[in-house]
Formats: sequence, structure tokens, C-alpha cells
Amino acid sequence: MNDPRPGRRFDVQDDATAKKTTAPEAPAFEQHFVPVDPAPGARYQLDSVHHPLEEEAPPEQIDSALDHALAKPKKRRWGLLSVLAGTLIMGGVQAVETFQNAWFGGDWVSGAWSVLGLGVVTLAGTSLTKELFRLKRLRRHARLREDIDTRIMDTQMDGDRMKALCDRLRQQMGLGNRDPHWQDFLQAHQAHHNARETRDLFGHYVLAPRDASARRLITRMSSETALLVAISPVTLIDMGLMAWRNLRMIDRLAALYGLELGYASRLRLFRAVLANMAFAGASELATEVSMDLLSMNLASRLSSRAGQGMASGLLTARLGIRTLKMLRPLPFEDDRAPKLSDLRRQLWQQMKRVDDGKAGKGRADNV
Amino acid sequence: MPLSLPGYAGDWLERSLDRQVRLAVTGLSRAGKTAFLTSLVNQLRHAGLDARLDMMNCAREGRLLGAQRQTQPDLSVPRFPYDQALAALEGTPPAWPPATRGISELRLLIRYKSRTNSRHFLGEQRTLTLDLIDYPGEWLLDLPMLRQSYHQWCEALSAQLTGRRRRFAEGFLNQVSALDPAGTADEQQLADISAEYARSLNTARNEGGYTWVQPGRFLLPGELDGAPVLQFFPWPLEQLGDPAALAELPADSNYQTLARRFEHYKRTVIGPFYRQHFRRFDRQIVLVDVLSALNAGPDVFDDLRHAIATLMQSFDYGSRSLLSRLFNPRIDRLAIAATKADHVTPEQHDNLLSLVQALMAEPLRDLRYADIPVKSLSLAAIRATQARTVEHEGKRHPALKGTTQSGEEVLMFPGEVPPRLPDADFWQRQGFDFTAFRPAPQTSGEALPHIRMDSALDWLLGDKLR
Ligand SMILES: Nc1nc2c(ncn2[C@@H]2O[C@H](COP(=O)(O)OP(=O)(O)O)[C@@H](O)[C@H]2O)c(=O)[nH]1
Ligand SMILES: [Mg+2]
Repeated sequence: MNDPRPGRRFDVQDDATAKKTTAPEAPAFEQHFVPVDPAPGARYQLDSVHHPLEEEAPPEQIDSALDHALAKPKKRRWGLLSVLAGTLIMGGVQAVETFQNAWFGGDWVSGAWSVLGLGVVTLAGTSLTKELFRLKRLRRHARLREDIDTRIMDTQMDGDRMKALCDRLRQQMGLGNRDPHWQDFLQAHQAHHNARETRDLFGHYVLAPRDASARRLITRMSSETALLVAISPVTLIDMGLMAWRNLRMIDRLAALYGLELGYASRLRLFRAVLANMAFAGASELATEVSMDLLSMNLASRLSSRAGQGMASGLLTARLGIRTLKMLRPLPFEDDRAPKLSDLRRQLWQQMKRVDDGKAGKGRADNV
Repeated sequence: MPLSLPGYAGDWLERSLDRQVRLAVTGLSRAGKTAFLTSLVNQLRHAGLDARLDMMNCAREGRLLGAQRQTQPDLSVPRFPYDQALAALEGTPPAWPPATRGISELRLLIRYKSRTNSRHFLGEQRTLTLDLIDYPGEWLLDLPMLRQSYHQWCEALSAQLTGRRRRFAEGFLNQVSALDPAGTADEQQLADISAEYARSLNTARNEGGYTWVQPGRFLLPGELDGAPVLQFFPWPLEQLGDPAALAELPADSNYQTLARRFEHYKRTVIGPFYRQHFRRFDRQIVLVDVLSALNAGPDVFDDLRHAIATLMQSFDYGSRSLLSRLFNPRIDRLAIAATKADHVTPEQHDNLLSLVQALMAEPLRDLRYADIPVKSLSLAAIRATQARTVEHEGKRHPALKGTTQSGEEVLMFPGEVPPRLPDADFWQRQGFDFTAFRPAPQTSGEALPHIRMDSALDWLLGDKLR
């Protein structure tokens, strides 16, 4: 790679810069391999190509359940898919046929039924393709993120290439070229910044404003959930509420980072988040939430309804933070990730208020 | 104590609140200390306005409000000539700040908005006091002498006197060989030999590029020029006999006279310099000019490595507690910087960084043992070039655009920096051609362009600006 000799000078007019470099080609690699029969004592030429023995590296623990969940399923459910597609096509054909017969036979009722059927089939078909499409986008997003994360260690990765990756991220997030945050990033980025610094700048200028909104969103939605659960009287409704609010929160968090989620991708993400929480240790979850409650001496100071509300609020917040960590196009740097403890106080105060509000009524009930 | 009591007490209060930092900018002569200090003051004064400090958390969050210079605590020490330095940089043609000839101090008050919880009762706007000193790098070389006796010093310097260095010292060696350690001292003769020794040091430094030249005051005597305290020299060890016999010599013998002057030099010149300016540091940045050493050749490079390893032993390192903060401050965080990084193309910065780490391997091990956080970075206090790519024979090559010291505008590829300590092969190829650049023309009143001053500031001061 000694092509430009040290101290080589160029014509000042030669300067073709401004535009960014394309990736320099890898140096042509000449092979001098001389095939020799591996008889005992065989010698190889010293300059033949040789590699270190490939060590059987232990498969890396997949940390993120998202990657796990989004990885191509090992066995695609072709059966299910073909049955579904077949049913749709057959249904469509049959509806058209029935409609033809009805048209000629003057049977209006079955004609109307078939039109309705056709409508249903079309709707199902389009939403199915949309779902598949959105699922693919989510997968692409996860891949890009992983790419950036692994290639940051790569010595070949310089600031310019990282910037190109950031540009792709920007497009995925649906930000225009003139977006003020992106422009801030461009202004801050300079030729000498390496891959890590570039990523840091992108994180600060483009992602941080979104992180702040995401944090606000999580706070708001978890306290809403806490409230709803606290005032709803039936457990079944509680569960429904939780599911509904959580799915909605995932959806809106995704939208913040420019991801449009369908039902399938949302469910998939939800599952991934739950799985992640389980992987990360169900025990951790249990202890943390109960510690959260205990540390505030909740048992003695909140009514059981408010306690339930508090618990589900905390769970929602936790889920939100996990989702945020998964959806963010770049992983959080060391201590920047939002913490549950930031949200706890707020929830607690809200639940106190609920209790105070209900206090009068509760006492009346007890008498 | 040069400090009046109220001022001193005030310092204590600031220290106990952890709102005062003394930053040691350490580097041999020409390492870029003055340029670093000038840029530091400039960036902080322009913070929040036009200075690009994107890697500095406090600044990019908009919490850094600016900085003001204040009269330094010790009124007998000149103030750091920031305005002169800036005037030189903004002149036509632009020039580097003039070489430092004496010690100077600067106190900077940095205003920032706190985001810690204590802001609710301590107030949001805070001030951090930053104390800086600038000094000729030559004088720094004397610090290790404090721990040596005259005989040990002669031993250390004789071991170094090899190769090109020996050639530079030829005249001095000839003169000393005629001198008898046991003979009665002749003032004039000693003065002459000392002058010859000083001359040899000057050539070794200026022509040979060597950094390790002792005693440093011989190069920049200042007001001590011609005083007998500067009339001594290291006696080549091979000409000295048994140390026990030397100790027995009469007080007016050549050897004893030199030994006495050596001790006097330590006591009256190095000692006060060290006590007044080189203790009580909280943070340190070590500036290393690896590129010039690469340019000069293998022996100079080794010399630099040795010089820095020895120098680092003159500072106190350790973690801080409230008590140590008050009574015995120590350096608890350190940055190591390869300076003048604007002399190489950006893709070489990684190599530059690993090279400086390799160069500092020994001190870095000690620091790790002492559990002091260290960050190494490549920086240019005042960026004089622009990174470009050049289309040449259908390929794109990285290049630098700048103006050389002689005023010629060039577009060039300076070469690859070896990522490890260079081997014989590298020196054979001489893979590096370092051209000194003139600073880029500045618009008066704008922040100076730089490379990674923001990262350095963030590392050195970031935790105090929360
Ligand atoms: N290109 C470039 N040259 C520098 C930089 N800093 C210092 N220099 C060069 O190094 C010389 C010595 O710098 P100076 O700050 O006086 O070193 P000091 O002796 O350690 O104070 C200057 O005259 C410049 O030629 C820098 O950031 N970029
Ligand atoms: Mg200087």
C-alpha cells in the first residue's frame, strides 16, 4: 500500500476532493501456492499462503433477542403460508364465479354476498403483503444497526464510511437531507473524526433529540397505564388494558425512530421484548420490580389497587425502555440509556394522588 | 509563601469544593506546549460561539458559557502571553507563537451551567478555576536531576554519550581529558570547559534533534548567564576512578568543586522551580512530538522515549480524596497526546495513536499500576492543513493541503506513520517526510481551527464541568 510515496507532492490543481472517497480497493493479492502432496515430512515453500489454524470460536451468546426473533426462521412455515394464499385465491375465484352466476341468474342476494366476499379477500391480501413488507423493513433496520455495531471495531472503518452508514440510517429514519438535526451533524463532522467519533456525533446530534421524546413518551404512557389499571375494577380488563397500551407504546416508539410497524412486526417485537426480558432474567425482573415497590414501602402506604397500578406502570416503563434500547438505530453509549429509577418517582407520586383522591370514598366503603 | 493568607484560604475553599484545577501541560521543548495553551484559551473563550467543540459534552449541550482570564495568584510570575501569541497567528503572513524563554502563568475562570442535582440549592451557574503554566521545555529536563548525586549524574550521561551524540561532544571530551579530577580547581578552566559543554548541548539539540540534554538551563540560561552556578559539566565516567577515592578528594579539587556546584544548581535552580510550579497538579497532559522524532532518525527517537519515561517519574500520581485534594494534590487523570497531528493525513491518526502508546509503554504500565485513568489521543492544537483526496492516475489518494514555512503552497502525502516502534527496515526506507507548515491565515476574532482539542478538554475537565 505504498503507492503514494512518502513526501509525494501533487499538483495543487489536482485537488479533486470535496466529494468523498469511494472505498479504496483491496490490494491485488498474488498467490504463490505451490501444490505439494502432503507426504510425511513434506515441506512447503516459505512464501506459500498460510493462515493461522482456525480456532473453533464458541458461538457468541446472542444478547439481543431482537436479532434472534428477527433472524430468518430456520424453517419457513411454507405450509401455513400456502394454505393462506390458496384460501385467499380460491375464495377470490369462487367469489368471482358466484358473482358471474348471480349476474346472469339475477340472484341479487348471492351477488351481493360474493361482492362482499371479494372485498374481504382483497383486504386480507393487501394487509398480508403490507405486513410482510413492514416485517422486512424491521429486519433491515436491525441488520443495519448490527452492522454499525460490529464494524465499529474494524480498523478499515474510517470516519467517512461511518458517515455513509449514518446517512443510510438517516434515510431509514425518514429524515430529509435538510433536517436541522442532520445538518447539525454534518456541520460537526470533520475530516479527522474516526468511526467512533462519527458515531458519537450522530448519536448526539440526530438521535438524542429523539431519545428525549421517547423518554417522555414512555413516562407518559406508563403513568397512563398505571392510572387506568388502578381505577379499573376487573382483572380481565387490566390485562386487556396492559396489552393494548403496551402494543401502542411499541408502535409509537418505533414511529419515533422512523419505523412503521404492522401488526405482525409489532407482535413480533413485543414477543422479542418479552423474550429479552425473560432472557435477561425473569428473576431480575421480579426482584427489581418488587424491590422498587418495597423500597418505597409500598405495602403499607398504597392501597392494593394503586399498588397494582404502580406495578403495571413500572412494568410498562420497563418494557418501554427495553423496546427503546432495541429500536434505537445505535446502541446507547455507556451511561446514557434511560433508567427505570428516573421514572419511578413520577409514578409513585401519581399513585399517591390516586389514593388520596379515593381515600374519602374508600373509607366510606369500609364502614 | 508568595500567597497572602486570604487568597490562600480562598484557594482552599475552591479546592475543597473541587472547583479549582491545576493542569500540567508537560512536554519537551518544541512539543507544542505554547500552541496548546494558546489554543486552549482560545477555544474556551469562544465556547458557545464559533468554537467547534463537538466532542466536549459540556460545550455541545450548550452549558459552557465561556471563559475569562484573571490575574494569576502569584504576581511575581509573568502572565502567559496569550495576546502576543494570537497576534502572531493572525498576522500576515501568519506565524507560530514565539518560542518560550521563561516561565509564565495563567488563571482562567470557566463559566458553565451545572446539570447536577445540587444546582437547585447551589445555583445553576458555576465557575471552574483553571490554573495553567507555560515554561521552556528545556528546564523540564532538569527535574530528574533532583534525585541524582553528581557521580550518578556523570554515570547516566556517560552511558548516553554514544554515536552521533559523541561526535557533537568531541571538543568538550578533548578538553576534559586534559583535566585531572584531583587537581586544584582553576575557575577559568572550568568556565571554559563548561562553555564548551554548553556549546555541545546546543549543537546536539539544534543539529542532531536530540531532546534529552541536561542541564536544561545551559540552553536557556536567562538571568543566570555567566554565573558560576552554571559552570559545571558531567565528567565522563571512564576518566573518573573509584568513587570512594573521589569522595576523599580535598574540597578545592576539580571533582569536588564540580560536585558542589552541581548540588548548588539543584538546590537553588531546580528546587525552587520544582516546588513553586511543579507540584500540586490535579490533571496532566503530556504532549509528545513523535512526528519530528520520526523525521530525525532512530537514535533521536530512542532518546525521546527515554526522556519521557524519565520525566514522568517527577510527577505525583494517585487518586483523590477530600483530604488529598486539600493537602497533597496529585494527578488523578492524564492525557497523552501526539501533537501536530495535522502533519499527517486523517487515516494515519490511528497509527499515530498506537505509535505514541508504544513509545510511552513503560510509563503507561506504571500509570496502570497506580490505577490512574489515561487517555491517549492525536491532536493538533492549531490545525495548519486541510485534509483532501487527490485524483492521481485514476485512483484517489489522501493528501494534505497547506502552506510550508517558506510560503510555498503544497498538496502532498507526507507518508505512513508506523503503528509500532519503527524497526531497522523502516529507518532504511525512511518512510516519512515531515514538512513544517505555517499556520493557516486566521480571520481576526474567530476561533482557531484544531484537531481533537475538544476531546482533550472533555477528558481533562469534563468531569468538573457537570
Ligand atoms: N502544524 C502544527 N504545528 C505545530 C502545532 N503545534 C506546534 N507546532 C509547531 O511546533 C513548534 C513549537 O511549538 P511550541 O508550542 O512553541 O512548542 P513548546 O516549545 O512546547 O512551547 C511551533 O513553532 C510550530 O511550528 C500544531 O498544532 N500544528
Ligand atoms: Mg513554548
